[in-house]
Amino acid sequence: MEIGPGQFLLAKLDDVARWAQSSSVWPLTMGLACCAIEMMTATAPEYDIARLGSEVFRASPRQADLMIVSGRVAQKMGPIVKRLYDQMADPKWVISMGACASSGGIFDNYAIIQGIDTIIPVDVYVPGCPPTPDGLLHAVNLIQQQIRAGGRGGILARA
Amino acid sequence: MPPMAGSAIDPPSLRPPIDDAIIERIAPAQLRARLQALKNEGYAMLLDIGAVDYPQRTPRFDVVYHLLKLPPQVATPSEIGTPQRYRLLCGVPVENPMLPTVTDLWLSADWAEREVYDLFGIAFEGHPDLRRIQMPTHWEGHPLRKDYPLRGPARERSPRPAFANKSNLVAGTPPTGRTAQALQEQVARARRAQREGAEDHEAQ
Repeated sequence: MEIGPGQFLLAKLDDVARWAQSSSVWPLTMGLACCAIEMMTATAPEYDIARLGSEVFRASPRQADLMIVSGRVAQKMGPIVKRLYDQMADPKWVISMGACASSGGIFDNYAIIQGIDTIIPVDVYVPGCPPTPDGLLHAVNLIQQQIRAGGRGGILARA
Repeated sequence: MPPMAGSAIDPPSLRPPIDDAIIERIAPAQLRARLQALKNEGYAMLLDIGAVDYPQRTPRFDVVYHLLKLPPQVATPSEIGTPQRYRLLCGVPVENPMLPTVTDLWLSADWAEREVYDLFGIAFEGHPDLRRIQMPTHWEGHPLRKDYPLRGPARERSPRPAFANKSNLVAGTPPTGRTAQALQEQVARARRAQREGAEDHEAQ
């Protein structure tokens, strides 16, 4: 298979783009409940999520790549989380942090959404109640691997 | 007439006094007048309005008003008095779940009454904005009533995960595991010792 010069250049650009995306994943602040405390701990010096590229947590979904849903999502909060996810620009990824975001956790009742994957697509689930900051860092690492492994081709495609 | 101090389904042993509140029970007809009188007496704070559902009792609901009288302001810290709490219980029947509002007496009643309406279905006549506050706006049902399914009406009959049924307490079987066994042995030893102690007393 012969690779023309134009295709070679685009392939290299792909790699560079994915490397850039994976090295600067900026999360959106979606700290909803107790898992948010562990997410804050992951930003603190001992665990330091910034060394993985998440230098800042953006409050605006337009400026964020990664939504870390940390905490239980109430029925009332569900449409809001969905709206913020829709407002994020492609490419975007979602980490479902903790038991409540992944499956409703210990709250098997009328008030809590039984897992945010019922409303938004999730890339990595982190088990725990709450997960240790190590767990969250591992999840961000997995997101980075997913980005670098590539997706359906093209520098503008979702990894 | 709702029970004053306790009954078979609401025994005082399950409801021991945890503070030195003055507890009073009243009928809905005298509620507003009594609250107005208490406010004039100096109970300037309405801490919360709660409700309890006793399904086997008439009237079914108990609406509880928690009031606080703050001590008067004084010149020196050594003269500071203690606040006085007041708990007013009002029996509300399920056939007519309606009470007069007290938002004109205490503004904090606004959201407190909305919460009681949302979770129990007790309406408050004269409330400026009576709508749900914790559940989504068009939710059906009042979740804290005892006949409301815990998992919600949509998931009431859907299967639960297997680990949810493994509680020994729920199943009524004795617990397993080393710690549980050790605890059971300890309890058995204590019972034996108690029996021997009772026999000693009889022998004497």
